[in-house]
Amino acid sequence: MTIENTEELILNMGPQHPSMHGLFRMVVNLEGETVTKIEPKLGYLHRGMEKLAESRTYAQFIPYTDRLDYLASPHNNWAYVQTVEKLMGVEIPERAEYLRVIFGELARIASHQVCIASTALDMAGWSAWSYAFRDRERICDMYEMTAGSRLTVNIMRIGGIIEPPAEFWPALKSFLNDTPEMIEEYNGIFFGNEIAQGRLKSVGILSKELAENLSITGPVLRASGVNYDVRKAEPYSIYDRFDFNVPVRYGCDSYDRTIIRLDEIVESIKIIKQAVRDIPEGPVMAKVPKVIKPPVGEVYHRVENPKGELGFYIVSDGTTKPARVRIRPATFINLQMLPIVCLGWKIQDVVAIFATLDAVLGEVDK
Amino acid sequence: MENKVLKEQVEKLAALVSGEVEEILGELVLKVRAPHIIETLTGAKNFPNFPCDFLHDLCGLDLVDHLEVVYQLSSLRGPQRLRVKAIVERENPVIDSVTSLWQGANFLEREAFDMFGINFKGHPNLKRIYMWDDFEGYPLRKDYVTEPIEVRNIVRTRIEGE
Repeated sequence: MTIENTEELILNMGPQHPSMHGLFRMVVNLEGETVTKIEPKLGYLHRGMEKLAESRTYAQFIPYTDRLDYLASPHNNWAYVQTVEKLMGVEIPERAEYLRVIFGELARIASHQVCIASTALDMAGWSAWSYAFRDRERICDMYEMTAGSRLTVNIMRIGGIIEPPAEFWPALKSFLNDTPEMIEEYNGIFFGNEIAQGRLKSVGILSKELAENLSITGPVLRASGVNYDVRKAEPYSIYDRFDFNVPVRYGCDSYDRTIIRLDEIVESIKIIKQAVRDIPEGPVMAKVPKVIKPPVGEVYHRVENPKGELGFYIVSDGTTKPARVRIRPATFINLQMLPIVCLGWKIQDVVAIFATLDAVLGEVDK
Repeated sequence: MENKVLKEQVEKLAALVSGEVEEILGELVLKVRAPHIIETLTGAKNFPNFPCDFLHDLCGLDLVDHLEVVYQLSSLRGPQRLRVKAIVERENPVIDSVTSLWQGANFLEREAFDMFGINFKGHPNLKRIYMWDDFEGYPLRKDYVTEPIEVRNIVRTRIEGE
């Protein structure tokens, strides 16, 4: 029997769908199982960060930045405090710069581990999920030693950073020693897995031209064959002192978008090892005035977040509160590829493509 | 050195679209009026040697007497960066959409519309992105009235036995 007069089905995915990584909703039009149209609906986690910033002092806004990309909160702190420092012209001590790099790269590893884990989980790979999360726990423990909290750490200050306690260094050392084994495990259990490869390889092709036109940044852009990393192209902090490579993949598919995060973990470990070797003794806070009052002006600063480029655009009117804080979230802009790339794929591929974007809704909805 | 060449090109473009060039904290800023925006950005995208062909960010800005749309341009193949500011009237905030130049401007323009009420002519799907559709007002404008903390506290207290 042949079926005639099929009807288009409209499916609401999210906001409480387990594969939606938070509160993301998309309206999917389906022809059978094939996607014909996708419309992302945002705003379920919108807290109005940019408006909140206007009624707070510069220092009071730092804990809010933790809640942007909550899987890599030191990075958000870092981007914000560096923007304010650039506006004020503050030079921070050497030791603080090295500590910032160490925590930033630890956050990158933790964030990429969650990406690998949740991509595996979205394809029902429970064991790969548990391996990656087990290792991420150790990074969370290191946060806890230093800051007291495990997720939203609020570790950086305008002009410096918190000094980690003595027990932090042995924990870091033992973590670094275990990393080769860790990476081998992820390779064996997830990336080498035939089912995972079948689900991810040549799914959701994002061409280089389209990626550039869509303003896509971060690992998603680099998996489409563009060699661009802010840490290399425009070294901020002390990234010009370290020897590391920018991993680039040319497959443009979901598999490359995931495995490039593993390559980045390897590079991050290299950076941390060099930073631990070279870190000098000294103070961790620069001399900054008690009341932070940047001069009238504006500044735009961007850093390489694990998920893409995070930018802050701060306009100061010379008072203690900013006139405007603009946050350029990476995944919000990366999400624009979803309605274009998913067309023609099956509904289960949409889940895979969305997972490889590594969207964190705290950052998307601000 | 590179900056000098870029500056020359930006100044040439500014003369073409009657804009002003400034340098704020080492970054070039080009200020133009809203009707010239497509011409300006097309020019910047096609600079010889230093094309600013990557739309990094687009956002609105409220300066009380007028609104601005701020474009952060850069390139994936060089260090060049340029900030373009388009002046938009407060009473009638209309500007051409740049989605024809960069598809990536889609969500960003929707956000600027949502938060500042700037109308992007020629945008394929200009709807609110964060706030719900029947929300009134534009939250990031300076004249938007948020409820004072006393009012919010009253809403939160519960009457006993409720």
